[in-house]
Amino acid sequence: MIKIFNVAYKNLLRKKTRSGLTIIGIALAAWVLVSLLGFNKGYESSLNRDIDNLGFQMIVTAKGCPYEAATLMLKGGTGLRYMPQEITQQIAKEPEVEEVTAMLMQAVFDPNKGESGGYSAYLGVDPATFPQMKSFLEFKQGKWFTNTEAMEAVLGYEAAELEQREVGDLLLITEKNVEVKVVGILKRTGTQDDGTIFLPLKAVQKIFGIKDELTGIGIKVKKDADIAKFEEKMYKLPDVQVVSLAQVKQTIMTLVSTAKVMVFSIALIAILISVVGVINTILMSVMERLQEIGILKSMGATAWDIFKLIWLETLILCVSGGIIGAALAMATAKLTEILIRQLLPYAPSGGLVQISLPLVILTFGVVILIGLLSGVYPSWKAGRVRPLEAIRSQVE
Amino acid sequence: MMKKAGFMVAVAAMLLIPAKLLFAAVGCDLNDPDRDVARLFPGSTGYKTNYVSIDQKGGPALLAQVEDRLGDKFQGLFETIDVPYTLYEVFKGKEKIGYIHGVNEKGQYGGIQVFLVLDLDGVIKNLYFQKLTSRYGKELRDPKFGEQFAGLTLKDFYKYDVRTGKTSGPSAMDKIKNPVPEAESDFRAALRGAKKNLVLVDEFILGNKYIQYHQSGGEQKK
Repeated sequence: MIKIFNVAYKNLLRKKTRSGLTIIGIALAAWVLVSLLGFNKGYESSLNRDIDNLGFQMIVTAKGCPYEAATLMLKGGTGLRYMPQEITQQIAKEPEVEEVTAMLMQAVFDPNKGESGGYSAYLGVDPATFPQMKSFLEFKQGKWFTNTEAMEAVLGYEAAELEQREVGDLLLITEKNVEVKVVGILKRTGTQDDGTIFLPLKAVQKIFGIKDELTGIGIKVKKDADIAKFEEKMYKLPDVQVVSLAQVKQTIMTLVSTAKVMVFSIALIAILISVVGVINTILMSVMERLQEIGILKSMGATAWDIFKLIWLETLILCVSGGIIGAALAMATAKLTEILIRQLLPYAPSGGLVQISLPLVILTFGVVILIGLLSGVYPSWKAGRVRPLEAIRSQVE
Repeated sequence: MMKKAGFMVAVAAMLLIPAKLLFAAVGCDLNDPDRDVARLFPGSTGYKTNYVSIDQKGGPALLAQVEDRLGDKFQGLFETIDVPYTLYEVFKGKEKIGYIHGVNEKGQYGGIQVFLVLDLDGVIKNLYFQKLTSRYGKELRDPKFGEQFAGLTLKDFYKYDVRTGKTSGPSAMDKIKNPVPEAESDFRAALRGAKKNLVLVDEFILGNKYIQYHQSGGEQKK
């Protein structure tokens, strides 16, 4: 076997440029395949992590308000709609519910923000339930509020950086002319929480004069609960709108899968081109060596020996291309991620391209299998060469 | 169906979009550079954006020098060696005509973003607060306040002690008046921000042109 390997290897070295170009073709196809499979895996796990980091799987908002953050962004504080706070208790009684947390988002116009003013948003949260639900939040400085009505604020890292606040500093809610004391700065999370200013729910209700009303309720559903069924139940509540993150995730994955089908098609074309390249290279090599093959057969080599020799050449090309392609994919994973982020309408935080060892082995196996299949025809053709005809044809 | 999908993506973006996108200005960038550069530097036709940090430019040694020239230590969670500063080089055609540079400064109730419009020699043409959370923001952001700084350089600021808020001897700084006595802490923060801004520009781009005035408290060394 080693002897055949040496012969096959030396045969490939005789046409270095041609062999090299074929290997590059296979490597490019393997590169695309590894990157795509890595993206497939990475995107979904990053999206799952982002959704888990929200702490709840469902949000109930007042009807007509798509989501308070969207309204704030588009209209400032003017377009918010509210729902009665008592709905929180109603939802909490449902058997599928593990925890609920009430939220009230408010915004004030600050004329001294930017050239023509801007909005500052404040999220009122229930100190009894919100920190539990977001147990992954860690503090850079300080801690959560001292009591449920305290005029205190906890800032996400980016919000604190923008406002240059630290624990003990004051924060002014312009328009309302109310001072609150900063009691906590959160560590970075890579989520929306980084840019949020949290206040106790009751404090926000008091400052903005909104009694017993909310803009949103976060719901953590029990692990074994039927989310779809529970969602239907929530839709029956009067004047509320339900945003299920499972549904959001499904929609994003559907949209992304359309893009993935297109890219996979391109990868398939790349693989087909490399297959044709391999067949062409090996077939050319066979045609050029007809005389040699004829001599080998006249010396006693069987058709199977010749088949094995040519097939081994294909295998060497594919293994080399596969190794280079996998290495390229791993080396350029970060670059691929940057490109994907530029192209996708929404990309979750964290690693979008996750290349693991099983994935590399899988791709490697696919490349070798495709290569071996593409080597069958040239090898079979070489095995069928008639010795005398082959020697004569070259002499003529 | 498409509408629903669009809605879902919008919701997802609101919920999951990294906060960095919502609060892009980690350093101190102009909110709308195309508009702001043209407004702050009338007659300009273009600009080039450069990013530089003390850490990259000279590390702890540079930080020590900047603090020495400022007359105060960098403080707190966010005034650190790795803050990226954005320096806009302003052009009229192909000719460079000046700089715009901003810094974050800690104010009484929030972050203050102090931008200086400078000519090529580091002479202030204007001062602009991009963001200022204060009960007296209107008075401090009045263009008349910024105009008081026109013509000043780092040489003048050397006479100003950022820790005490006082000048040593007669100085061009004396002409700068606080429009609202109640906003003293924000006024002093603004002056500290302006001095820090000038020191950084001198270090980053002017080749320490004004360092000669440093130890002499604003007088040229003999």
